Amino acid sequence: MTLLEISGLTLDLPNGKRLLHGIDLTVSVGETVALVGESGSGKSLTAQSVLGLLPSGAQTSGQVLVEGSDVLTMKPPELLAYRRSTAAMVFQDPRAGINPMRTIGDHLTEALRLGEGWSVARARERAIEVLAAVDMPRPHDHLRQYPHELSGGMLQRVMIAGALAGSPRLLVCDEPTTALDVTTQAQILRVLAEQRDKRSMGLLFITHDLNLAASLCDRVYVMNDGRVGEEGPARQVFLNPETAYARRLVAATPTITVQPNEVPAPAATAPGPAVLEVRDLTKTYRARGREPVHAAKNVTVDIRRGDALGVVGESGSGKSTLARMIVGLERADAGTIAIDGHTLKGQPRKRVDRLDRARRVQMVFQDPYLSLDPRMTASQAVEDALHLHHPRLRMADIRTQALTLLSSVGLATTQAEALPRTLSGGQRQRVAIARALAIEPSLLVMDEATSALDVSVQAQVLDVISEIRRERGLTILFISHDLAVVRRVCERSVVMRAGEIVESAPTIDLLTRPQHEYTRLLVDSVPRVMLVGGNT
Amino acid sequence: MSRPTPTMALKVMRSTGHRRVTVSWTISIVVLGLFTLAAIFAPLVAPYNPDQLDFGAIYANPNLAHWLGTDSLGRDTLSRIIYGARTALLAPLIVVIASTILGILLGLLAGWRGGWIDAAIGRLLDVLLSFPALLIAILAVALFGKGLVAPVIAMSIAYAPFVARLTRSLVISERARPYVSAYRVQGFSGGWIALRRVLPNVVPTVGAQSTLNFGYVLAELAGLSFLGLGVQAPTADWGAMINESQAGLVGGHFLPALIPAIAVVIVVVAVNVIGEEISERIGGGTPA
Repeated sequence: MTLLEISGLTLDLPNGKRLLHGIDLTVSVGETVALVGESGSGKSLTAQSVLGLLPSGAQTSGQVLVEGSDVLTMKPPELLAYRRSTAAMVFQDPRAGINPMRTIGDHLTEALRLGEGWSVARARERAIEVLAAVDMPRPHDHLRQYPHELSGGMLQRVMIAGALAGSPRLLVCDEPTTALDVTTQAQILRVLAEQRDKRSMGLLFITHDLNLAASLCDRVYVMNDGRVGEEGPARQVFLNPETAYARRLVAATPTITVQPNEVPAPAATAPGPAVLEVRDLTKTYRARGREPVHAAKNVTVDIRRGDALGVVGESGSGKSTLARMIVGLERADAGTIAIDGHTLKGQPRKRVDRLDRARRVQMVFQDPYLSLDPRMTASQAVEDALHLHHPRLRMADIRTQALTLLSSVGLATTQAEALPRTLSGGQRQRVAIARALAIEPSLLVMDEATSALDVSVQAQVLDVISEIRRERGLTILFISHDLAVVRRVCERSVVMRAGEIVESAPTIDLLTRPQHEYTRLLVDSVPRVMLVGGNT
Repeated sequence: MSRPTPTMALKVMRSTGHRRVTVSWTISIVVLGLFTLAAIFAPLVAPYNPDQLDFGAIYANPNLAHWLGTDSLGRDTLSRIIYGARTALLAPLIVVIASTILGILLGLLAGWRGGWIDAAIGRLLDVLLSFPALLIAILAVALFGKGLVAPVIAMSIAYAPFVARLTRSLVISERARPYVSAYRVQGFSGGWIALRRVLPNVVPTVGAQSTLNFGYVLAELAGLSFLGLGVQAPTADWGAMINESQAGLVGGHFLPALIPAIAVVIVVVAVNVIGEEISERIGGGTPA
């Protein structure tokens, strides 16, 4: 039985720009449908139109039928009733969607009390019931808690509970797990699947993660540029995509599934000298009146010349602190860091020391939107670095070198004159990479360098990285929360949890034969499509 | 962004609306432009010498010879307003520029270095802020004598804390951004990053904010002259003109006092409209 039927949905902004070009989509009762696409594909807009959340002044045509009535033509009171009883939505960032001044109980009972006229006791009962349904450990206690007392994963469960409180028949989830760690994501997905089956809800699931879509959903719609490019059963779209765009997207999506015939990469190509030697590095943050946080506990890491080492861990595991200590942005409490056999001490002060440190290690930061100076063009950013390290070079030569570097990361001369705000995320990250390469460091630290990028852009940047590695024999410390990305770049990886390295092995071995239970949990939590038979 | 995404297009639509050039903005620009031109070309524009006495035309009402009438000594009010615009505009301009430079330097130092330097500068600013600017200016006059030089210097110092506080908070938020860390990792010195890279990123916002001080300074300096502590007779000045014409009020000759007062109001309003518009455009714009 069809629950949601979108047919020929178009959406124009008041300025005449068309954002959706005739979307057709159906969701049946009890079915899970994924809407997959990169940022700007219009997937969120499509999802929001299901709830009647349209941008002000937008012109629509087509139909969004939910149980036979058209959401687009509903009058405000009808829309209100529809949102209360028929459809609900879960958003990406749970913390942005909840009032920080009100308790969880207020959040869950408000709509029932004010909208449905339920008594406090009855609304409370329902709140406890839905909290229990989403596996919250102590439903009674949670009602009195404030949002800041709960972790992101817990809070997202509260948001799901809130969506379930009105017993909707259609649940729209807009990237509900994107802001969460992979193990938390696995829990949320399990809760969602459970509730879908129990209440035979239809689930419209918006995500940029093809692996996730394929592992959770029955059918997948691939969106691109305001159009549905391809649709079909999830496994089919993933394993055998028909359109060129879907094929590109699937190819760009990194996966942790190891092909049976895949041989482990040769461990350490010709054992060269160690570039980075980290010994017993320890760092503890002590905030007044709080438990001390151990960001690094006796961390010991080696990288040989030309190797790429992955550091994998969830948020708060201390991987970024490790990176910041290695590049000298943070001071370690104890332990030593040596690059090329030269022991580094704290933050360098004198000019000679600073330049020496910079030539040993450079860093590419996570967010290319913040790591570039907004006032400096792409080539100026690179020229600054060149000028600092080669003060005797003539400006004309510096400029030529900067342009060469930028073109080596795939930026055209025209883009060299562009300010960061006019460049896309991928282009900005290329500028950041070129800027780091300009100094010709022995070691390049990349801290979540591709996490803020779309999959296809991420794939391009990863290609640039491996090309540079081939050409320059660069040594890389690659930090990421994403096992699949690490697997694409690094031969060896270490897994960090709460400041400790729990396992260190060739990346393939980590994925196929994890030794530590935490590594196993991490690997098992990553959504993936089973290649051979069976359901996921 | 190479291509605006739907989500972005929505954000832009919601946040800015339509940036319209308002009537008040246009009028303010024209008014301030006229006053500035009149001040610069005063000898060419003014119909009379501002100090020229004419005992045949004391307290003349506006007529063809004297468009805005004359005062108790028969001096042409229009000419005095035009010459008075020189001090009225120049002195606040100097104060705004000087206080901005001083405030930015203090704020940059406090925000960038933090620690005890920040604390020390912070307390200094607190002390300065606890005295009204006019009081500090009067103190300066008491110490160094009447005239405009002492009050202008005093006001420059008195207004610096406002600028310094804003600069400090902007620098602190800027310092935490990864691009600053990126410069450090590249090997640039802290001083270079602060002066050459962070400073230019905060100056537009701070500058826009301090144009708002212009109006306040103008009014306060006029007040100082009104009290007889600022510009000294016989130099034409709006505040001094109001002061000199007080006696005439009793006799029903209110124009010589009213006109300079209106001039003060018009310029202050015009400057504030412009200042607010500028700071809204710069401050409200999306940073990169």
